[in-house]
Amino acid sequence: MALSDLLQFTIAGLKSGAIYALLALGFTIVFAATGAINFAQGEFFMLGGMIGVWLTRLGLPLPVAVLGAVALTAAIGAIFEVLAIRPIADGDPLRIIMVTIGGSVLLRQIALHVFGPDEVPLAAFSPGASIMVAGAAIERQTVWIWAITALAVGALFVLYRKTMFGRAMRATALRRDAARLVGVDTGMMVTVSFALAAGLGALAGLAVAPLTQTAFDVGAGIGVKGFAAAILGGLGNPVAAVGGGLVLGLLESMTAGYINPLYKDAVALVVLLGVLFVRPQGLFGGSGREKV
Amino acid sequence: MSLCRVRSRLVVVAFAAVLVVALTGCTGAKSTSGGSGGAETYKVGAILSLTGSYAALGSSEKNALELEVKRINDAGGVNGKQIELIIEDDGTDEAKAVAAASKLINQDNVIVILGATGTGQSMAARSEIDRAGIPEISMAGGTAITSNFDPLVFQTPWANTLVVPYVLQKVAADGHKNIAVISDSGGYGKDGKAVIVAAAPKSGLQIVSDQTFNPGDTDFSAQLTKVKSSGADAIVLWTAGKEGASIVRGVSDLGVKMPMYGGSGQARSEFAQGAGPAAEGFIFGTGKSLVPTNWGADSEEFKIVDGFSERYEAAYGQTPDIFAGHAFDALTILEDALKRSGGDTNAKALTSAVEGTRGLVGFGGAFTFSPTDHNGLTAEDLALYQVTAGTWTPVK
Repeated sequence: MALSDLLQFTIAGLKSGAIYALLALGFTIVFAATGAINFAQGEFFMLGGMIGVWLTRLGLPLPVAVLGAVALTAAIGAIFEVLAIRPIADGDPLRIIMVTIGGSVLLRQIALHVFGPDEVPLAAFSPGASIMVAGAAIERQTVWIWAITALAVGALFVLYRKTMFGRAMRATALRRDAARLVGVDTGMMVTVSFALAAGLGALAGLAVAPLTQTAFDVGAGIGVKGFAAAILGGLGNPVAAVGGGLVLGLLESMTAGYINPLYKDAVALVVLLGVLFVRPQGLFGGSGREKV
Repeated sequence: MSLCRVRSRLVVVAFAAVLVVALTGCTGAKSTSGGSGGAETYKVGAILSLTGSYAALGSSEKNALELEVKRINDAGGVNGKQIELIIEDDGTDEAKAVAAASKLINQDNVIVILGATGTGQSMAARSEIDRAGIPEISMAGGTAITSNFDPLVFQTPWANTLVVPYVLQKVAADGHKNIAVISDSGGYGKDGKAVIVAAAPKSGLQIVSDQTFNPGDTDFSAQLTKVKSSGADAIVLWTAGKEGASIVRGVSDLGVKMPMYGGSGQARSEFAQGAGPAAEGFIFGTGKSLVPTNWGADSEEFKIVDGFSERYEAAYGQTPDIFAGHAFDALTILEDALKRSGGDTNAKALTSAVEGTRGLVGFGGAFTFSPTDHNGLTAEDLALYQVTAGTWTPVK
């Protein structure tokens, strides 16, 4: 096959991969704070897109609607944590996981009743023809997806590494009791981690909606992909999460391009299982000693 | 954290992941409407996809059935008896369609099953239908439903065996020779592709690229890249899911400059609007009723379709899509058969009453069933449409 085909598959893989990376970051952030997997992460992706469309239909300009949807979804994430997770905050991660599974079903049903069963479109962030590079096409929205992912990763890095607040988050992740002893409000840190994860999920859902449309039921499928990306890269490490997302996206795209599009989900899962078998800490995970 | 702890934590996580997959869609919806129950009513079961990838189709069907059952009941019912409608959600899942059929038959003792929404679900429910020996009137467009013949199973939409040759004729008439086919791996697309493969040579068309995708996929770069370099002059898209709009967008975004054709799956405003300017000029074939004036303003067809449209619009604030129309037809056929069977709900009597339907005008056209034809429509009931500015107009 032609080189331009390979380039096109790579572009498609990095596009999906960037979305998976944003979701994987959400998994990582909550995992770091609670030791649990938040299976409602995919629903935040769905809520971002649906709320964004709803706000544009209320007549808000697109940029305001997008930012508003991220803020509202983050708020929903925080409320979800306070109502459902905080009562069992010192409990078993397994219980938190169960609650997030229940929460995902609840959020999906609420979305079905509030927004209806139909798929809905979101306008492209900057409409126009694709950018042609050496025979391959890059959709303008894909450039936005990459930019948003890079920006989010950069902002998270600054937040975690350069601010007092980020240090408190990391302290909570490392040793909750010790963090509390030195005056960190660890409960608040967990709430913030859910809000951040929800906001990232919403951002991903908004970035991809102009290409795929969105609907109340898109969360579960993408949630599994984000989770797979987080595990593939190595849970608990933001850089690994991004790496895992990009690798998963490329893997899927190459499978679709050179083997068979129908097998792309299966091949990705087989590789995921293989990696877990050989490197349980993930492709890019370290010893697992440092979680953030 | 030691490796051992990582491992045990991953076991927990993997367990939870399995649970999530199992729970996804375990969100059954149920509703009943109509009479008070007991033997004084006709119990009618409906299996609809109210969640999952056909949720939009199933919801339209639910709207139509509830609206028309209420209208019939308010007017005194059929043969003086009320219709009791029992709706089960199959979540666009074949296993759940079987469970729904079993529940409707064994617990609710329904006399007939309307549905399912999808081809795969309609076929899956057949095992239960055959066991119970009651008739099924499906609202799915797959050819297999009636070509894979079952004496108990009827179908209301224009089957792929009707629509595909009709659309391919248009493709050939527009001067195209080599086509690329893009279809989903689910029931409707798979079914349609088989008909396309069989019918293409008769229209003088050659399939130079055959691409498939899974329902739920969001990126189609791989398939479209191959279509682009295949040397095809036109694309035939056969799918009923929401992926259609993303594919048409992808065609435009990847710079694939080929005219596109489709079928009933594109007769939805969500498709025309979701794909935006990329869908401009997209041609699809489906029933004449999509634009009721196709029938002529004085025709009986127009009055029936328009009357249903008006009631639907008054109740739900939107025009009915074709899926609402197929559900309306299923109920109309049942009502007509019940009247002619004199209220005999015995499965055999009811089935032969449905087979005795002659020229019954519904949304899909004029239905004439027989013991060997359970689809009942002809190419006379079809028309071609072109997408323009987020909606469609009949092709002259």
